Amino acid sequence: MAPTVPSPAKSASPSQPSGKSEVADLKQQLRHLAGSRAPDADDQRRDVFKRVISCMTAGIDVSAAFGEMVLCSATSDVVLKKMCYLYVGVHARNHPDLALLTINFLQRDCRDQDPTIRGLALRSLCSLRVPNLVEYLVTPLATGLKDPNVYVRMIAAVGAAKLYHISATACLDADLPAALKALMLSDPDAQVVANCLHALQEIWTLEASNSEAAAREIETLYSKPVVFYFLNKIKEFSEWAQCLVLELASKFLPSDNNEIFDIMNLLEDRLQHANGAVVLATIKVFLHLTMSMTDVHQQVYERIKAPLLTLVGAGSPEQSYSVLCHLHLLVMRAPMLFSSDYKSFYCQFSDPSYVKKLKLEMLTAIANESNTYEIVTELCEYAGNVDVPIARESIRAVGKIALQQYDVNAIVDRLLQFLEMDKDYVTAETLVLVKDLLRKYPQWSHDCIAVVGNISSKNIQEPKGKAALIWMLGEYSQDMHDAPYILESLVENWEEEHSPEVRLHLLTAVMKCFFKRPPETQMALGATLAAGLSDTHQDVHDRALFYYRLLQYDPAVAECVVNPPKQAVSVFADTQSTEIKDRIFDEFNSLTVVYQKPSYMFTDKEHRGPFEYSEDLTNLTVGAEATENVISAQRYQENDNDLLLSTSDKEDNGTATNNGSSASSYNAPSDLIGPPLLSSQTPSETLLINPGGPTNSLQSNFSLDDLLGLGAPEAPAAPPAPALTLNSKPVLDPGTFQKKWGQLALSLSQECSLSLQGAASLMNPQSLIRHMQSNFIQCIASGGQPPNYKFFFYAQKDGATVFFLVECIINTASAKAQVKIKADDGTAADAFSALFQSALSKFGLS
Amino acid sequence: MPVAASAIYFLNLRGDVLINRLYRDDVGGNMVDAFRTHIMQTKELGTCPVRQIGCCSFLYMRISNVYIVIVVSSNANVACAFKFVVEAVALFKSYFGGAFDEDAIRNNFVLIYELLDEIMDFGYPQNLSPEILKLYITQEGVRSPFSSKSSDKPVPNATLQVTGAVGWRREGLVYKKNEVFLDIVESVNLLMSSKGSVLRCDVTGKILMKCFLSGMPDLKLGLNDKIGLEKEAQLKSRPTKSGKTIELDDVTFHQCVNLTRFNSEKTVSFVPPDGEFELMKYRITEGVNLPFRVLPTIKELGRTRMEINVKVKSVFGAKMFALGVVVKVPVPKQTAKASFQTTSGKAKYNASIDSLVWKIRKFPGQTEATMSAEVELISTMGEKKSWNRPPIQMEFQVPMFTASGLRVRFLKVWEKSGYNTVEWVRYITRAGSYEIRC
Repeated sequence: MAPTVPSPAKSASPSQPSGKSEVADLKQQLRHLAGSRAPDADDQRRDVFKRVISCMTAGIDVSAAFGEMVLCSATSDVVLKKMCYLYVGVHARNHPDLALLTINFLQRDCRDQDPTIRGLALRSLCSLRVPNLVEYLVTPLATGLKDPNVYVRMIAAVGAAKLYHISATACLDADLPAALKALMLSDPDAQVVANCLHALQEIWTLEASNSEAAAREIETLYSKPVVFYFLNKIKEFSEWAQCLVLELASKFLPSDNNEIFDIMNLLEDRLQHANGAVVLATIKVFLHLTMSMTDVHQQVYERIKAPLLTLVGAGSPEQSYSVLCHLHLLVMRAPMLFSSDYKSFYCQFSDPSYVKKLKLEMLTAIANESNTYEIVTELCEYAGNVDVPIARESIRAVGKIALQQYDVNAIVDRLLQFLEMDKDYVTAETLVLVKDLLRKYPQWSHDCIAVVGNISSKNIQEPKGKAALIWMLGEYSQDMHDAPYILESLVENWEEEHSPEVRLHLLTAVMKCFFKRPPETQMALGATLAAGLSDTHQDVHDRALFYYRLLQYDPAVAECVVNPPKQAVSVFADTQSTEIKDRIFDEFNSLTVVYQKPSYMFTDKEHRGPFEYSEDLTNLTVGAEATENVISAQRYQENDNDLLLSTSDKEDNGTATNNGSSASSYNAPSDLIGPPLLSSQTPSETLLINPGGPTNSLQSNFSLDDLLGLGAPEAPAAPPAPALTLNSKPVLDPGTFQKKWGQLALSLSQECSLSLQGAASLMNPQSLIRHMQSNFIQCIASGGQPPNYKFFFYAQKDGATVFFLVECIINTASAKAQVKIKADDGTAADAFSALFQSALSKFGLS
Repeated sequence: MPVAASAIYFLNLRGDVLINRLYRDDVGGNMVDAFRTHIMQTKELGTCPVRQIGCCSFLYMRISNVYIVIVVSSNANVACAFKFVVEAVALFKSYFGGAFDEDAIRNNFVLIYELLDEIMDFGYPQNLSPEILKLYITQEGVRSPFSSKSSDKPVPNATLQVTGAVGWRREGLVYKKNEVFLDIVESVNLLMSSKGSVLRCDVTGKILMKCFLSGMPDLKLGLNDKIGLEKEAQLKSRPTKSGKTIELDDVTFHQCVNLTRFNSEKTVSFVPPDGEFELMKYRITEGVNLPFRVLPTIKELGRTRMEINVKVKSVFGAKMFALGVVVKVPVPKQTAKASFQTTSGKAKYNASIDSLVWKIRKFPGQTEATMSAEVELISTMGEKKSWNRPPIQMEFQVPMFTASGLRVRFLKVWEKSGYNTVEWVRYITRAGSYEIRC
């Protein structure tokens, strides 16, 4: 592809040769040299060619010299040829008519006696990328594939893929894929084989959507004979081709455990390879092969830990970052397996911040009873870091650990020490954390309040921190001696408070304070409501008005709306669904892991976001701003997600759309009473979001509720199944499953039967797994061969942490299933068993 | 698809294109403009080496004053792409003779274009081995084995070996004197808390080799590592000799090492490439001998004065010595001046890195040196900006010392002609990231 036609402004850059006169000069010289037979002609040509290429690199349009270049190309000097090929390759596409001129000499070179020349010519011929020249391409390619020299065959193999991209029909009509396949399975040279594999994968993957035959060919590529053919000669391949072969192997579905162990034994030494990409590719094979064998899978984790840690420590920061991203993924999947390696994730002062951020996340994930003290001590060191974003992240990390742990005593002290560091951003972050902590552990309020009370709100600039402080002032105004007076002074400065978020919190806090200490707050409340009513921000105004009316209607109702008794938060909202996580894991060793999102989200058109590249530069700049905004908005969201959160974001989106559809609906600020708590949504809080007050029907109340996404954990309209509803997206990792299976006593064991159709359609485990998934029963492991299959399933009771674990052995010949159920809560086991059996018996009927 | 790079760009720090090579059609020619506007001209640079803009992903790294950018439009293998860049740079360096920077690229751009054509085809990495490429791409121009010019200098079938299985060595090498140089280079990474406890410590080592051997020699290397020694004792059925054995946490080898034999017999045997290469890398976390202890005391005397006292003890053998010892003690930004007293070496205040830099050229083992400094600060008005103390950093090299204790026990060379070889072994330990919090 050619660089775009340069704008005059660009070529005027002082450091680069300037435009037109230069090109004219070059043309002149080339013409002069074209026929020259002087002994030093080749050297002169080289100089001129060099200048042409350097102009081309600088972005100057040298296509005007095309004819002259072609004339000069009749030479035996290989360097000249290469420069000429490069030039032709770049310009042919924009000048298809001129490209025709070069065909002749390229075709002649393809028949040269020197294999290097043949190879180079063939490569250039395929790189012209001009559709109407395809006819000249097919024959040299077909001969190239049969060339006695490896160099030519190697180039021809990739050339076939290039041809496919120019003209798929030409490539298929000439039957090149078949030739490639034959070559792949027979060529003695490893690089030729590898290039054939590259080309075939590319051609058949693209072709698979239009042709059944191609889809079948893809399957043969992943079949046992082909995969083993490659694996057995893996040592002959170059390190890059090894990556390719390993990638192929990771897609192979072994039919029994022996095959799995064979492959792993064969590949184990690859973990010692100096090339990190080979090691990662090997790890992918191991992880994917052992997915169904929980205990072996765990051993694989143990085995790959050391190589991964070595790779992280070696190489450039970019390389170690790419490995660290993968390590991060594994740590997040099985944190407890890494809990003893926490020291490997300590940040070095010189680590770039993108590395530090990943390390912080990993430290947070692997914190458990045994290492929390060390990890938190280390994280506290980072809080004083010069790099402010990292300092913030580490404070948040401390908070996250505090929220995960049962024994938070020491951590609370640390957090409170942060407040004494007297740095604006540290204080702000810490306040947000203390607030979240109090929502989960209200019992700590005394210690925290004492310290928080000493903080002057004047020192806090950041809205999030200030809002958190105000929330605490309102919530604990009975314990904080001067809460009403602090709030009062804040209200006095209402005008200077720029953030609507803070003003909203202030409104609510003053209300709460009023209900707890009416005489002291009455004045302030009046002032607050007055200020709120005259506020220019819609939400603030509306909330003030709403409070005002509510108080007028009945202060008692107002109290139970604004200040209801709260339940402690117990559950985190997980930001990523299990499905997404599994997809990311499936695409191990690719960009997916770095971006932490499945590939369709960044390669498919519809997910790419608002902006596509066009050749037009003006478009580019406009579009550029758009993406920048999107990106920064995303970042903002990610960074500022409250710890307990993420529902608030969804709600905001929900309300936005909601607003459009119904004119009367009220734009509910999501954090009316502090950020919403996922699991402790009390009815009174829901009421608050209700537009017209108590007069509105309960019905609309709930529908709105649903629109806002607050009903998330509710089971989707479940079939009239037994009284038990299951969580549609339970999360349980293999490690925990195994632990639980070991610990729990058997609740139930019985035999039940499958429908005959079901038994007949159970050709492979996948079909049943999918069926059970549609009933919210997840499979964690499966195996076996007809007629006997074994499955391990799990399910979770909706809205509770109760898990059900099932071992199910099915004999398809007799259509019988042996079911063993273990449950966290034995009393629910019967109900679950009924549900499980009904799901099982329906298999194959639909 | 391992890489399937759509394009590779070499840019200088201003964003001018030095070299561009487009391998595929699926990215526009103006991708490099996107890189400039979105990454180079914003603060995004340095936040993450992998970035998505529109439909493309940019994988970039900076090497001296050049950015190398790989553009991909598919879900590429990141590790492979970065490794490719690193290897490609190593290849260019071996062609340019050391330096890789903007000037070297400008001076050799034709050569780089030639190489880019060979090392990657349609976005797929091909052969990157300098040994092989140098056979048919030379700085003077292509030396084709079939063209008449090079007939006086026969090159043993270059193109045959382009893809051959023993890609790292060609046949028919002859040296008058057969020599092998082994360098064991270790870097110690340390993170010590302000209370003097070791938070994290490991050694990453590599064995560099330079071979000038004739023919196709078979080499075998023996180290004092635990697994190797145990295996040997088991094979020869005699008890393991007492003495220090080293437990390697993890090892990776150059592709020439026969990994199957390493796994079964625990010996490192290989046919080496000609010239210089990295034979193996290893990592050790247990039993690391730290060459230096650093004991800092920092007192802040009021707002404008600080007293810094750093004592460094060398704890390696008394007969050895360290070279190029540098201790960097960070001081606040508002430092005005500093006065020093040192028992050895020289110290000065370097304002550009906000540190006191204390250099000692030669530091004998089992000795100690101290530096005491008095630092005067400019008093700042307004709010006190408390100073968060970055860690003290240290640089050094200790020849003939390995922090891990690793030693070469033997290096055997077999060649069918049975010549004698001379082996040279050197050890050196360097500071990796040697940080002491204060």
